[in-house]
Amino acid sequence: MVENAATVAAGPVSEQTVPAQATTTAILAAAGLLLAAALVVGFWVAPTDASTLGFSQKIFYFHAPIAETALLAYGVAFVAALLYLRRGEARYDRLGVAAVRLGLLFSLLVMVTGVIWGRAAWGVWWAWEPRLTTFLIACLLYGGYFVLRGAVEDESRRATYAALFAIIAFVDVPITFFATRFLPEGLHPVVLGPAGSGMDARDLVAFLAGMAGMTLLFVGLLRLELGIEALRDELRELKFRLGR
Amino acid sequence: MGFRQYRAMVRKDLLSELRTRETVVAMFLFVVLAMVVFHYAFTATGGGTLSFYTGGMLWVVFVFGALLGLNRSFAHEKDEGVLDGLLLCPVDRVTIFLAKMTGNLIFLGLIQVVAVPVFALFFAPHGMVAHLATLLVLIVLADLGIAALGTLLATIAMQTRARDLLLPIVFLPLVIPLVIAAASGTGALLSGGAGAPGVLGRLLFLLVYDGVFLVLAYGTYDVAIGE
Amino acid sequence: MTGAGSSASGTGAAEISAVGLGKAFGRREALHDVSFTVRRGGFLALFGPNGAGKTTTLRLVATLLRPSSGSVTVAGRDPRDDPAAVRRAIGFLSHNPLLYRDLTADENLRFYADMYGVAEPARRIDELLARVELGHRRHDVVATLSRGMVQRLAIARALLHRPAVLLLDEPHAGLDAHAVALLDGLLAEIRAEHTFVMATHDVRRGLELADQVLVLDAGRVALQRSGRLEPGDLADVSPEHAGLGTLA
Repeated sequence: MVENAATVAAGPVSEQTVPAQATTTAILAAAGLLLAAALVVGFWVAPTDASTLGFSQKIFYFHAPIAETALLAYGVAFVAALLYLRRGEARYDRLGVAAVRLGLLFSLLVMVTGVIWGRAAWGVWWAWEPRLTTFLIACLLYGGYFVLRGAVEDESRRATYAALFAIIAFVDVPITFFATRFLPEGLHPVVLGPAGSGMDARDLVAFLAGMAGMTLLFVGLLRLELGIEALRDELRELKFRLGR
Repeated sequence: MGFRQYRAMVRKDLLSELRTRETVVAMFLFVVLAMVVFHYAFTATGGGTLSFYTGGMLWVVFVFGALLGLNRSFAHEKDEGVLDGLLLCPVDRVTIFLAKMTGNLIFLGLIQVVAVPVFALFFAPHGMVAHLATLLVLIVLADLGIAALGTLLATIAMQTRARDLLLPIVFLPLVIPLVIAAASGTGALLSGGAGAPGVLGRLLFLLVYDGVFLVLAYGTYDVAIGE
Repeated sequence: MTGAGSSASGTGAAEISAVGLGKAFGRREALHDVSFTVRRGGFLALFGPNGAGKTTTLRLVATLLRPSSGSVTVAGRDPRDDPAAVRRAIGFLSHNPLLYRDLTADENLRFYADMYGVAEPARRIDELLARVELGHRRHDVVATLSRGMVQRLAIARALLHRPAVLLLDEPHAGLDAHAVALLDGLLAEIRAEHTFVMATHDVRRGLELADQVLVLDAGRVALQRSGRLEPGDLADVSPEHAGLGTLA
């Protein structure tokens, strides 16, 4: 792009807000406690699952919350995208990027825990079952989000296209999930979900602790990400101005 | 007025294509070549015929062939910088979308008209002629989805740096649900006929899929095509 | 929409009105607080060095870009409210002819006639092709036409829908003498029927045609004058003319 002598819009260097550090630390600490609780209750206190899954069922206390948090992250990106298209404020774009990044991270974790579970419970490393497959596709899809961002030079265009894509991708996730149910049952009818009839109270405690913990973990990490993005932007801004 | 513009755009794209014949010929050759490659790739292992996979293979071939065509759908405009000319016109952006989508649909349809008989010739799948009507409905519904999604994404991709590379990356994950429904539907149809369990479900799914992406395109096309 | 006749009267309605127009591409600010008014039948010449924002200004008025700040109205309409009406009122001519190379001259014009909803397209096309002296090449594919012919065809395209406003972005660039003469002749002919904004490096020609001048530098207004000007009037301000450095 032709760099012309146009002046940069005057304005305070840091209009971005870096989320308060103290609150973030508190949130992450709470998340840590809850997850530890889930671990303890789930693995030691709650009874071993009566079905064929046995001990391996306990990974569910992490697997399911991670999955739900990934979807939450994509949902946040979806809302951020809508807000960006509506208002054009850069902070919504930053929120979107951070949310998608975390969503990808959690999706990868879903697959890792899913693979571990599959191996422990049925002896297979991978199964083409609806939930795992949906997350695999989500990983590929949201990975494409970053490829798209990388291919656009102009910042506002980049944010616009990324927002469009985040909207399309989020709408596609449930569609993908329903489509995978069309697949014929394979050799191993694997369903990664709570087995047995209902959950014991102790199971429930572990599960809810896991859910709350993961969600708080997401929020804490999101705040950290936003802070980093804001500082990065500020650095870029300073470099740009000094370069004049 | 909207229709006059729509017709003018579709006619222009068809006329351009007729003059150069670049896209359609390439798409057709690709589709046939792909079928041949698939045949050799899968039978070379000594596993017998492809009959188990035929329903699916047809769709893999169409989707990748469609990608070729989609990449080109804005090629004229972008390469020659004529997109501005289009954007200067007092035309609804959605009308542009519909016209482009129609063009893509026509190209895809033309390819399929020739490719499906070739496919039947190579692989002689049972039940194809018998259930042709339902198969056509399925193909039309799937084509609509490919065209709608593809046109929307091609619009975005063509304005980026890595446009030929980017389109497959964003298009393929999003088209997977369509492939699943179309392929499994084709398979069920060929083996069990129109009344086979799940065929109707898949047709309905395709209908919903088409609807969702058409609505998305309608809502976002202003933004997707330009400032 | 036809414009008023003589430009002698100064009470014509504002055909183009830009207020506090600003445009930023990401962090780079291409235009800052540019305001001007062109009344119906007027001719605004846009000067400035490369990268000053002339093209950006024209593209903003043409609705190819959306302003980051400020607004622009054409023929009393804001493109944000009624983009179609604004687009119908604008004809755009730049270095890029905006023609499809694989189609013939006739097919190109028919396409744009349909897109703009031109009434009696065949007659209008005949008329314009005659005016730009391309009637004999109407069924030839654009790729086979010379640069000068292509630009003449582009002029026909820009005038096809009888726009009230003509936006010209260095229209003489790269033209052979014949095409230049033709363009100048045409501009003189239609001078009274349209409102013009022309960005150009040719200060002499610009000043001959214009009754209003706007000089941009680094995205800001450096000079704004109405009335006929001589090149000498710009000496203090126009860098390319006087070779002076930056402006206040």
